[in-house]
Amino acid sequence: MFDFDFNPEEKQLTCIFKGRMDTVVSSQLMAELDSKYISLSENEDKNALLEFSIIFDIKEVNFISSSFIRICVAAKKRVKDGKFSIINSDPFIKKTFKIAGLDDILNVI
Amino acid sequence: MERANDILEKAVFAAAEFQEFNQEQTNKVVEAVYRAALNARISLAKMAVEETGIGIWQDKVWKNVIGTQLVYENIKDEKTVGIISQDAVTGISEIAQPLGPIFAVTPVTNPTSTAIYKILICLKTRNPIIISAHRNAVRSTGEAARICYEAALAAGAPEDCIQMIPAGSRDFTQMVMAHPRVALILATGGTGLVKAAYSSGNPAIGVGPGNVPVFIDESADIPYAISSIIKSKTFDNGTVCASEQSVIVEEKIAEKVRKEFERQHCYFLSHEEALKVEKIAVVKDSMSMSPFIVGQSVATIAEKAGITVPEGTKILLAELSGVGKEHLLSVEILAPILAFYTAKDYHSAIKLCIDLNYLGGIGHSAGIYANDDKRVMEFSQLINAGRIVVNTPTSQGAVGGTYNMLPPSLTLGCGTGGKNITTENITVKHLINIQRVCNRKMNDRFFGIDTEKYLDENCDETDLRYEYHKNH
Repeated sequence: MFDFDFNPEEKQLTCIFKGRMDTVVSSQLMAELDSKYISLSENEDKNALLEFSIIFDIKEVNFISSSFIRICVAAKKRVKDGKFSIINSDPFIKKTFKIAGLDDILNVI
Repeated sequence: MERANDILEKAVFAAAEFQEFNQEQTNKVVEAVYRAALNARISLAKMAVEETGIGIWQDKVWKNVIGTQLVYENIKDEKTVGIISQDAVTGISEIAQPLGPIFAVTPVTNPTSTAIYKILICLKTRNPIIISAHRNAVRSTGEAARICYEAALAAGAPEDCIQMIPAGSRDFTQMVMAHPRVALILATGGTGLVKAAYSSGNPAIGVGPGNVPVFIDESADIPYAISSIIKSKTFDNGTVCASEQSVIVEEKIAEKVRKEFERQHCYFLSHEEALKVEKIAVVKDSMSMSPFIVGQSVATIAEKAGITVPEGTKILLAELSGVGKEHLLSVEILAPILAFYTAKDYHSAIKLCIDLNYLGGIGHSAGIYANDDKRVMEFSQLINAGRIVVNTPTSQGAVGGTYNMLPPSLTLGCGTGGKNITTENITVKHLINIQRVCNRKMNDRFFGIDTEKYLDENCDETDLRYEYHKNH
């Protein structure tokens, strides 16, 4: 469903998603991501994450639900401005973010 | 207000008389106007260029031909009066009714052609028209209206069926727009105008700006694609809102495309030159094109920017790496300046097109050069554009009537994305109220059902579907 690639030197967390990000998958994702964020934070202090950058790689994602969009927005809020991006989007998914009016804010590439 | 009342009173009287006309009388008026306007195509074109300082008179002639001859040929046989269709099978007949006074706003870029086109479609639908010309094109628009009005009167049209309002006062224009006796606003122009039209409280067909991306696929015939783009982007010095604004190619064909542009006398600006052009072409704060370069030639633009380009250069191309406020030349510029993008692969190219499309041009037009139907359809589904023209110059292609079978029109709907009500090319069918006379034709399936079953809690959808579709 998804893998993590954490680069502590660059303080960069890359999440690689695969397949359909429907509502069911997204609800599981939310919990898993939360625990991942917490484990990465020193002393379970969520603010430590602010110094990180988070990248969602959606190269192998072929569908996203609105719940997944919410996950993206939530992830974006955990880091400083400009530290969150979504890479390798398929044109149809790029359009999905565009229509949601979030492609700039979420830095969808 | 008194002045507005006066104009509208005249228009309403004209409307009242007009609705007594039959199709034959209406057609006679339209034909007379078309003839007079077509005969005046050259003088009006020259006058428009002289007055506005925008564009090329020969191309303005072409636009006048579209607005007169092509529009006329397209609408002349349309039924727009009385009973326009009768269907014995459905029992539904359609009756066309005029709307009433139409308030038409015309742009500075295509003043005479848009005025004539709007006059023709209004008269064909028995609607009086009140024209508000752009303040920099009052004389030429007024002359076009005068020629049409005289011809219309001579052919028996009602007095005041064509009126002009004095230009210059925005407040007055808005007052007329919001006047309760205006039946419809037909607004062609910038976003502000279209918004004003829609906010007036009267029904409006307003169509706004574009930002037309053109994707050249690897399957395209490149030399042909480039010559087609040049034909479109240089047409009237790029003043058509459907003209190409950016060209997007994949890396693997970028060099070939670039060489072909150069071979066909287009000039790639260096980074420094592009910055100089940007400075004079785009107003940074509003992210909009500068009115001073609209419809200017390459030579004039080069001179204003203080750069030297080879003589005979047709288009200036600026290689950009992104879209938006950091890359000002990515906005709509109605002049022979094109943005050029190289994307690493097909998907990146399409994503760039989406970004450009959404940068001020949602719902307008887009172009693709490809000989691969699958890609054409994929591109088209991803782009939000009323018209996606294939292997066609976009200026001429979107306007219709020449390179495809779209209805020729100088007002191109941009759908809800462009805050418009339609994505269609506006023509006579949008200017009539169609009444439907519905003869009694019982729905036997519905009346065959034992209606008690609807009141029975034990009957679910399966039962009711069976009831509805069973053979009686």
